[in-house]
Amino acid sequence: MSALSDPKGALEDLTRAEGWVLGVSVAFLLFLFIALLTGALGPSYFLFLVGLAGMYALLSFGLNSQWGFTGLINFSVAAFFGIGAYGSALITASSSPVGEMLADVPIVGSLVGLPIVGLVVGLVVAFIMAVLIGIPTLRLRADYLAIASLGLAEVVRLIVLNERWLTNGSAGVRGIPGFFQGWPVLSTFPEAMPGLRLEIIPGSPIFLEASFWQALLNVLLVLAFSGGTYLVLRRAHRSPWGRVLRTIRSDEDLARALGKNTYSFKMQSFILGSLIMALAGVFYTHLNLYVGPGDLDPITTFYAWVAVILGGSGSNRGALFGGIVIVTIREGTRFLNDFALPIDPAPLRLLLIGVVIVVVMRYRPQGILPPQRELIWPNAIDGRGTPDKLDSGVREQKGGGGDE
Amino acid sequence: MSEGALPKKNPVLRVDDLQKSFGGLAATDHATFGVEPGTITGLIGPNGAGKSTLFNLISGFYEPDGGTVEVNGTDVTGMEPYEVADHGLIRTFQTPRKLEGMTVREAMLVGPRKQPGESFFKLFTSPGSVDESESANLAEAERILEEFEIDHLATQPATDISGGQMKLVELARAMLAEPEVLLLDEPVAGVNPTLAKKLKTQIRRLNEQGTTFLLIEHDMEFVMDLADPIVVLDQGHVLTEGTPEEVRNDERVIEAYLGGGA
Repeated sequence: MSALSDPKGALEDLTRAEGWVLGVSVAFLLFLFIALLTGALGPSYFLFLVGLAGMYALLSFGLNSQWGFTGLINFSVAAFFGIGAYGSALITASSSPVGEMLADVPIVGSLVGLPIVGLVVGLVVAFIMAVLIGIPTLRLRADYLAIASLGLAEVVRLIVLNERWLTNGSAGVRGIPGFFQGWPVLSTFPEAMPGLRLEIIPGSPIFLEASFWQALLNVLLVLAFSGGTYLVLRRAHRSPWGRVLRTIRSDEDLARALGKNTYSFKMQSFILGSLIMALAGVFYTHLNLYVGPGDLDPITTFYAWVAVILGGSGSNRGALFGGIVIVTIREGTRFLNDFALPIDPAPLRLLLIGVVIVVVMRYRPQGILPPQRELIWPNAIDGRGTPDKLDSGVREQKGGGGDE
Repeated sequence: MSEGALPKKNPVLRVDDLQKSFGGLAATDHATFGVEPGTITGLIGPNGAGKSTLFNLISGFYEPDGGTVEVNGTDVTGMEPYEVADHGLIRTFQTPRKLEGMTVREAMLVGPRKQPGESFFKLFTSPGSVDESESANLAEAERILEEFEIDHLATQPATDISGGQMKLVELARAMLAEPEVLLLDEPVAGVNPTLAKKLKTQIRRLNEQGTTFLLIEHDMEFVMDLADPIVVLDQGHVLTEGTPEEVRNDERVIEAYLGGGA
């Protein structure tokens, strides 16, 4: 049944929405490829965008494992993202007040500055914060978590902005190293690689220099982060654990009556999602090499919600897709600067996202890639049951006959 | 409790002097009764008699103001619903919400208690045992669906089946939780006669196989035919209990139903 052993069969097996998404993605990749070849899109910048897309995918995964799986309404995506970003930035940056404070402490002092330590610190702080918010709110109805998380987002942002001794305040944190600094081989990889000059189309050469190789490392890092997260979530979503979460989303009392400790499950789901968001923040720190209070603006939370709802709540693939759409709109509108438009690209960006979400909600309220297909587990297709029955029931209408 | 002084079997569920008020209104007023193992005990009473409140108190959804609930000799008063379920008391709901994005087969698999795969870490540290128990639960779910003659629904989305079928699935799922005593809240309310008959047959069959039931039902014919003994609740307290015959002929019961004093 795998797409590799039977590509044709796998292709025919797609639903209409999946086929559509696949088609658009292929067209989009082609477009990017042409832009790269003609030099319209710099390769380093392109890789930066891929990194950003991976980061948004991580944020969406995090929110999806809270809202999509369990129905927890978390409006502090930006806060957990910021905790991850600041956690790692304050440990690793040369201008970090925390680094100076800890530099003279034995043992701890030698650990400060290592990106991997920053990663751990970011995740640990996010974990503690998730537990602190979860304890009073997760026993209550979903609305209370929503309200508390809304407050948390502002509190974290204001602390970062005002506690200068800790965070440098509005100046932000500079002098952040790449994630692989201090690692064998990888830390010197960008400098060690030769500068290349490719001329595929005569007259428009492409240069691959140190910044390109650095960006490539970042992409590999985010691919590892998001790929690993995706695999973990995929396994968890289909498992009995994920099944309990989905039961809680539909009917928490039912789960309780069947002997499930729903408070504990909700806490696990909340912590898992928060850790993934913090992971996105850690990556962002080493991608952008600068972190400021502006990165904690509520707009990040908004983007993550749009990505998850757009993709289809509860669907990991949908979250991935939604994250990529958001980055495309966010960064794609920058190119519109070159054109004379009646409105500026910045408000246009929000307008465009608004239009997209309204259109999707109007014509496809379940999202573009709803979770049904990933959830048929135990899978009725692998030998058991009858596939045709499944087609009529759980699957969506297939492509082909429907269009005419 | 002195041993030997009680020649009777120990009840699998014992409710003793249970009280609960909502803002001055005594919804459960010193209710005392027991459910003997192996019985189908009916719980009836006019609207507002406090049957559902009693269910919620027993299953841990409400905290009682006073009194005790014992399951299999263990005091479960004030425990969380999941802890009460862990002691073998499983309940169904009058109007269950349907599980979105699940097939009936998947919705069934929520039933088994203490699945190893419900631990997030075991999913990754011991995937073998998780998959093993999942296969075993799946086989058991298929078997029970067949016994209930609803195996044709297995791959249907749980949101697409009728209310009556949902009640059957609920009952089937509750059996996967291996209850010592199963509380059914209006199992045939809003169910068409054919399916109601099917439900009755199933409840009787499960009872013969050893499951104890306590059920609330408004359909008198259904409950008189199925349950013995019957506990009658009125204004939060136990009015009487006895065989269907005794209850049917009890004047206080008739009065309660017709609105005594009128």
